[in-house]
Amino acid sequence: MMFTRLIGDMFAALGRAWSEIWFQDSPTTPLEITRIGVGAAMLLHYTLAIPHLFEMYGKDGWSPLDAALSLREPWMQSIFFYFDAPWQLAAFHSLFLLCCAALMVGWRTSWVKWILLVGHISYVYRNLTLVYGVDWIVSSLLFIMCVAPVGRAMSLDRVRAVRKAKLGNLEAVLPPYHSPWTGACIRLMQLQMVVIFFYSAISKLHADIWLNGDAVWIMFTSDDYYHSTMVALLASHYWIGNLATYGTILLEIAFPFLIWQRSTRPYLLAAAIILHLLFAFLMGLFYFSFVMIMGHLSFVRPEWWAALGAAWKRAIGEMEMIYDGRCGFCVRSMAWFLAFDGLRQIKVRNFRTDPSPVVSDAQMEKALYLVLPDGRALPGFEAYRYVVPRVPGLMWQVPLFYLPVLSRLIGHPIYNWIASHRSLLSSMLNRPATGVVGQQKQ
Amino acid sequence: MIWDRWRPRLIYLVMSAFLAWHALALVIAPVPTSSELVDAPRSILQPYITLLRMDNPWSFFAPTIGGAELRYIVEDATGARAEFGSAEKASWFHPEHLWLKDWNYSIIDNPELYADHAGELLCRKHASMHPVSITFVERVHGGFKPEDWLNGKRPLDPEFTREKTVQTVQCPAP
Repeated sequence: MMFTRLIGDMFAALGRAWSEIWFQDSPTTPLEITRIGVGAAMLLHYTLAIPHLFEMYGKDGWSPLDAALSLREPWMQSIFFYFDAPWQLAAFHSLFLLCCAALMVGWRTSWVKWILLVGHISYVYRNLTLVYGVDWIVSSLLFIMCVAPVGRAMSLDRVRAVRKAKLGNLEAVLPPYHSPWTGACIRLMQLQMVVIFFYSAISKLHADIWLNGDAVWIMFTSDDYYHSTMVALLASHYWIGNLATYGTILLEIAFPFLIWQRSTRPYLLAAAIILHLLFAFLMGLFYFSFVMIMGHLSFVRPEWWAALGAAWKRAIGEMEMIYDGRCGFCVRSMAWFLAFDGLRQIKVRNFRTDPSPVVSDAQMEKALYLVLPDGRALPGFEAYRYVVPRVPGLMWQVPLFYLPVLSRLIGHPIYNWIASHRSLLSSMLNRPATGVVGQQKQ
Repeated sequence: MIWDRWRPRLIYLVMSAFLAWHALALVIAPVPTSSELVDAPRSILQPYITLLRMDNPWSFFAPTIGGAELRYIVEDATGARAEFGSAEKASWFHPEHLWLKDWNYSIIDNPELYADHAGELLCRKHASMHPVSITFVERVHGGFKPEDWLNGKRPLDPEFTREKTVQTVQCPAP
């Protein structure tokens, strides 16, 4: 009896430890950062491939289809083994680039990521001559993103969900998504990065050039990574090369063991990021380094991102947008605009039901106003212009609002026209089924 | 009722099984096939590992680092020869630089698979020179010491270079 209880307790403890390791309730922030970074890197990388598309993946390109098929093993699949006409390749590449952009901005993320995974692996298997480390890393990270609930934050999918909630009530708050499965997927990504570092270290420990401390010197004097400034520096200070060689091995060995501890994680993470920045700028491995850094960012704790967001919010100060709640068009626009405000930096006030002590109703009849922390009030276009660089989710609009001379020259008349025709626009847009009508009635 | 009680447990079990499976695949995939301890689970995991392109030793810059360069010599009917390097004009900031290098290494490592076709492409590329053949040459750099640099020599100088002919490809008659 006692023995069975002991066994039972042991299994229960193991179960608790398993849950503790894998299933920690987490927001998706670390995965979203990786999604945005990997999406952007793939978009740039595959866009740059356009001029060489048929050379790289075409039937008569660098790797003829026969050669690719001769290397094929069971379970090696590529859609280009079956569709090899130039128009099919061009059409798929166009779709693939759109999906890269969609992954980056988080639009329809739940199925776009699968197209990217299938497409990326297909490109890799179609031409194995072009594959280097980063392609494997991208496959691994993409697969983890496929099984993870990415796109629930910092994405257009999230913006659409928040907008939908705000159409009913502008002050509605959609709680941030978090789940134990998210924690498990973050852990899987962390494990992937640790495995890469660990095996990379092991392989170096079997190589004479690394054990002798000559690897960095050999690297910079080789044709592939020749760097005259570095060679000149190392020629007169060879110990720097030794230090860099052994430092790389040390970091790659230490990383898998010390990255998990709360106290050592920041140092290991910083060291890994610096190492990859050096790879990028001294060896020209920009794509590889960027993707590795994005993978490493899965180790940034969600609370660190939250603290960063809170610090940003404090530095900028709270802003209040005063709008006309009777204008359906204004409410819809505000719902869109506020949906991008993930940090909730902007408070809203409907001057029809809650008049502002700072801006008069007569002023409000003409334009929307933004009240700043110092009490200043900015009208219309200037209000938007002030907000855009201060709200991270809206920063992509900076080029529109800050084009010298042109932005104000065009922006003011457009805003004034919309403001003066808002009743007309509202009547055109209003549909009884939406919450906008409800808000107007209120 | 019973389903409602067991559903979360079942989901938890499926999730845990997937995590254990994928974590095992991550760890096993880079291990070289040598021992029964690794080969047994690997044979089960192999389809999954191959399908998802996880089959990688992660041996960055080991055991060797680059050091080879592929050049090609275009020869015309008069016997005039011109030498080129396919990756030499590519910008360091453009991935084209790496793609060409990788393609060059594939020709060096597997000439039986890639050299003939690469030769055909280069015959077409240099058609204006009326080539009769393309000869691929592997140039290996090495043995450069710090004192060589201080003596004004450079790593890519001929004295630190060995050349080896990879393959000669005849161009089709025009």
